[in-house]
This record gives sequence, structure tokens and C-alpha cells, in this order.
Amino acid sequence: MSKKKRFGISEALTRGLTETISVVENNSSIYRNVVLPLSRIELDPENPRKLAINLADVREGIRPDDPRYEQKQEEHEKLKELGQTIKTSGLINPVVVYKKGELYRIVAGERRCLASIIAGKSDIEARVFNEKPKSFELKLIQWIENTAREDLTLNERLDNVRDLLEEYSIHHEVNEINATLLKNVMGLSLSQASYYVAALNAPEDVQAQIRNGNIRNLDKAALIAGIDSKDTRAEAIEACVNGSSLKTLRGIINQKNAQNRRHHQVNLQSAKSGRPSVKITMGSTHRVGVIKTIVDCVLSHQDYEKHIDLFSKVNWSDLREVNKAFRKLVELLEMEIVV
Amino acid sequence: MDIIAFVNNKGGVGKTTCSKLMAEYLSKTKNLRTLCIDFDPQCNFSHQYLHMEIDPAAPEGLMPPIHPDYDPDDPDDSDWDGRSSIAEIFYGQGVVPYPTYVEKLDIAPGHAEKLLTAESVRRSEVVDKVHKQLANFLNSPDVCAAYDAVVIDTAPSKGPLTISVIKAASHIVIPSVMEEQPVQGIYGMLQLWMQESLVREKSRPLKLIGILPNMFKQTRLHKDILKSLQDNPAISKYVLPVKFSQRIVYAEVDAADSTPRSIFDFYEQHVAKSEAMEVCSYLAERIFV
Repeated sequence: MSKKKRFGISEALTRGLTETISVVENNSSIYRNVVLPLSRIELDPENPRKLAINLADVREGIRPDDPRYEQKQEEHEKLKELGQTIKTSGLINPVVVYKKGELYRIVAGERRCLASIIAGKSDIEARVFNEKPKSFELKLIQWIENTAREDLTLNERLDNVRDLLEEYSIHHEVNEINATLLKNVMGLSLSQASYYVAALNAPEDVQAQIRNGNIRNLDKAALIAGIDSKDTRAEAIEACVNGSSLKTLRGIINQKNAQNRRHHQVNLQSAKSGRPSVKITMGSTHRVGVIKTIVDCVLSHQDYEKHIDLFSKVNWSDLREVNKAFRKLVELLEMEIVV
Repeated sequence: MDIIAFVNNKGGVGKTTCSKLMAEYLSKTKNLRTLCIDFDPQCNFSHQYLHMEIDPAAPEGLMPPIHPDYDPDDPDDSDWDGRSSIAEIFYGQGVVPYPTYVEKLDIAPGHAEKLLTAESVRRSEVVDKVHKQLANFLNSPDVCAAYDAVVIDTAPSKGPLTISVIKAASHIVIPSVMEEQPVQGIYGMLQLWMQESLVREKSRPLKLIGILPNMFKQTRLHKDILKSLQDNPAISKYVLPVKFSQRIVYAEVDAADSTPRSIFDFYEQHVAKSEAMEVCSYLAERIFV
């Protein structure tokens, strides 16, 4: 007797049905993807990116009597280049917006919107927030979007962090702005966070140079901000403005510090009292960046480069590990120098 | 106002029969003011309630008859030719639904040529307009005030007309014969459901009521295919626990001179009537929670 015939749906179809259902059921995305008419888009006046050019300028042209005519003209040229790529290859990443009344306000993608208008597009692919984002989330997204870019100035980035912290402090108690707080609020690494804290708390002379765009690099700003001596700082600022590398700056600081130490030693010896010191206390710091800088400086010296692997696995956000690493460095140096 | 659409891009799976039964159930037994919409250029749903006429401009297509309220001597009707189909929404004209022999049940009939023109648009900006047009119409205050429920019969396609329905609907039901090809049609509709769900505001989701086994016969083929859908844990949630059997009486009442004209006018114990009551009341419970 022949086997009874059985029917069923194919494996491919079953998989297709299952997957489709699962996409709908598990779609908990905070965004939905749509195509929006560009006429319904508005810019966010509070976005930390400080483009001079605005929607009216790209829609109606920049007025010749505009006080920022030249800057806007320059920005327009750059946007035209971006517009050209949008024309030829389309928009790769959709912009992010939220609904505000009848219009959609841009959270991320100002330049892409402006460039699309310049390219003659009438609509743009966008991700719309399903719910109106809280003001803090909004700032955080703008911050994430903006810091990932290279053309944002350090000043704009720091402004952004200040705004973000201010927003955060409305709903949370903030006693002191330190690296741990910044790390938690913004999801930065501890060392990155400590650089930001250093730059935010920098002495006025450093701040001024950040504001006018002479210091554009966070690592350098943090390094210079950490110099206590006003003269050394002034020298480092000048070197930085003239384009010195981070390494050169460290060199200048080390040299200055060494001079100062010699100077101090003389003074100390002349005014010594009590028992003579037999060893040097290395001091203590809350800033991982300080230790990392010391370690990096030593390891960048050709005599000690060979030890670099010993420190490659250190987790710089774990203070215990950082402590261990520093002790190891001191031990190594003691050995190297004695031998 | 709930908008219920019966969709499947495979033809001949019983979309029109299901639409008709659901619309009559809602108007006759639930006493809801119901609007039928025929979005299929074949106009079969319209033909159930109206004497559709051959369109002289397109002899293979049908168009609605002269509207009973049309008065050529009334100056208000001077710029109207007396016919009105749901396709007018694509041409900036008003839609005037026709009354049917069922009280509380109106129909906005199809118009073959006009619907086919809307279905065939390809230019992106026009396609976009077609997609949104039915939702715009059904969301208008006039329509919302006049009806409690809308039942839409769709064309066997995945084109702009069906997408337009998906965008307008609050609930969709996918009727399917338990055979390989119609089940593939389910996949096509789930794809549309997914695309729409991903772009729709979360506050008014498109609810998939489920897959409704239709024209079911107690054969190995139908039983095995139904079972394979029910055995899959993801799909089984959407396979409805009720079904329409293959019955000649569903087709017989379609004839214009049949008496009674509605399954719901059969005597209480009639097997087709009790089946229709069971299926439609289940769907209504799921829709009007």
C-alpha cells in the first residue's frame, strides 16, 4: 500500500511568514522611518552646531546685505558639494526628527536637509521619534551625532557638554562635575570624560583660546589645562596655537617642570629643616588622565618603548588597575635606571 | 470608526464573500451604520448591491449606475454626471455612497477604469498621493460622522490600491484558501502589514485580526495545510479559530434574484447562517473590544 500523501507549506514560506510576524511584534524601536516633504522641516535653534546659514537662505538665497554673507556663502559652497553626493548616490543615513505641531524639527541632520534642498529635492528620508523625546534625550542625541563629526569645534563640543549637564542637573542632583559623572551621563570612557572635565574647568587663559578656536583638540586642551604654573601654561598655549603636537607639548611641560623642580630643590635645600628626605612620595591624583599621561610619556621614550606591551591591556577606567600599572612603571624605571 | 479590510493578493480566495458577510452582519445584526467600499477594479462587491453598468469608454469594465438621488434638473447637480464611485477620491470629486436593500448599509462602488488608472500610476509623487488618498477620505469629518464601520473589499494585488487600503485600515483580515498559492498570498499581505506597521504612529496601530481559512473542505490538502500553519508557534497566533466552509449557498445568494438575498435572512438553524454568525461575531468581538 502506498504511503498516504501529506501536504504542507514549504520551509521557505514558513520562514518568511515567521520572520515577518516577528519583525512586527518585536518592533519596539523609538523611531519610525518615513519620507517627509522638505517643506515640513524646521531647524532646531538650540542645536549646538552653529551654522550661520539657515532654511530661508537655502530656499530664497542669501541676501547680499546679510551681515554674515561671506560665512554663509562659504557654507553654501560646502553644502552644495554634499548636495551633489545626495543627487548622485542618494542619502545614506536618514535624518532624525520629531514632530512639533505641523512641522518636523531636526534633531540630527541639519546639513543633510539643507544640502537636499540645495540639490533640488522635495522630500527626505527621516526617522521620526514615536514619542516626543525628553529634552535631555534630545540633547544627548544631538551630542552623540555631533561629537562623531570631525568638523565640530572644541568650543561647540564643550558648549554641548555644558548644556547637557545643565539639562541633566534639572532632574538629578549634581554636587560636582567629575569624570565619573560625565562617564555615566554621556557614556564616555573614563579617560575621555576626564579630558572633558579638565577642559571644562580649564583656567581662563585656556578657555579663551578654546573659545576663539585656537585650541581645537580636546587632549591638548586637557593637558594644558592641567598645568599649574601660569608661565609654563602660557608657553604651552603658544606652542599649541602654533601647531605643536601632543607629544611636543608634553615635552615642553616635562622640561619646564624639570627646571622648576631643580629650582625648588635649591630652595628646599637652603631652607631645610627636620630629617633629610630619603625617598620621593609620588603623590596621588583622582585623574586617571594624569597617570595615563605619565605612563604614555615614559613609554614614548625610546629606552622604554620595549615595555609597551606590559601596559596594553590595562583597563584605564578601573582605578585599581591604574594604580597597579603605575606601581609597575615605577618599579620598571627603578630597575632600568639602576642598571 | 473602525475600518476593516479583507486583503489577499491571490484572487479567488473569497475576499468579496467575506466582505459582504461582514458588512451585512454589522449592519443587520449589530445595527451599525456601515459603509462598504469596493476597491477592486473588477467591481464584484459593487455588483452585489447595485446594477453596475458597462462602461462605454472601456467595454470590459463596469461603472456605477445613476445615483437614485441624482436630479438632472436640480442646479446643485449641474456639474455631476449622476454616477459616483470610490475612485472619485483620486480625481478630486466628492463620493456619494449608494443606499442598498439593507437598511443602514451603504456602498461606495468601484469604477473599473478609474481604479485601474489609479493602480497603474508609477511616478513616485503620484504613487504617494494614491497611497494616502483613501485614508484622507475616511478620516474626513463627514465620513466619520456618517458611519460607525467601514468594510473594504480589495483587488487581488499588492499595488497602490491595496497599499492605500492598508494605510487607511484599522483592522485587516486575510482570507485564504488552505492551498499553497493562496498561502503565498498571505505572505504578500504580511509584508504590507509589516511595512505599514513600521511607519505608522504607535497610537493607532494596524491590527492584523488574522488569517481566515475560507472555502474550507474536509480534504487532506486543506486540513494538512491548515495544520502546518497552526503548528508553527509564530503563525498560529494569527490563524483564526473560526472558518468558512465551501458552500454553494454563499454563491447562490449572490444571484440578483435570489430569495432571501442575505445569508442573515435565512432561518435560524440554517447551517450557512449559523456559520456566518459564528465567524462574523468572532471577528466583531476582536475588532470592537
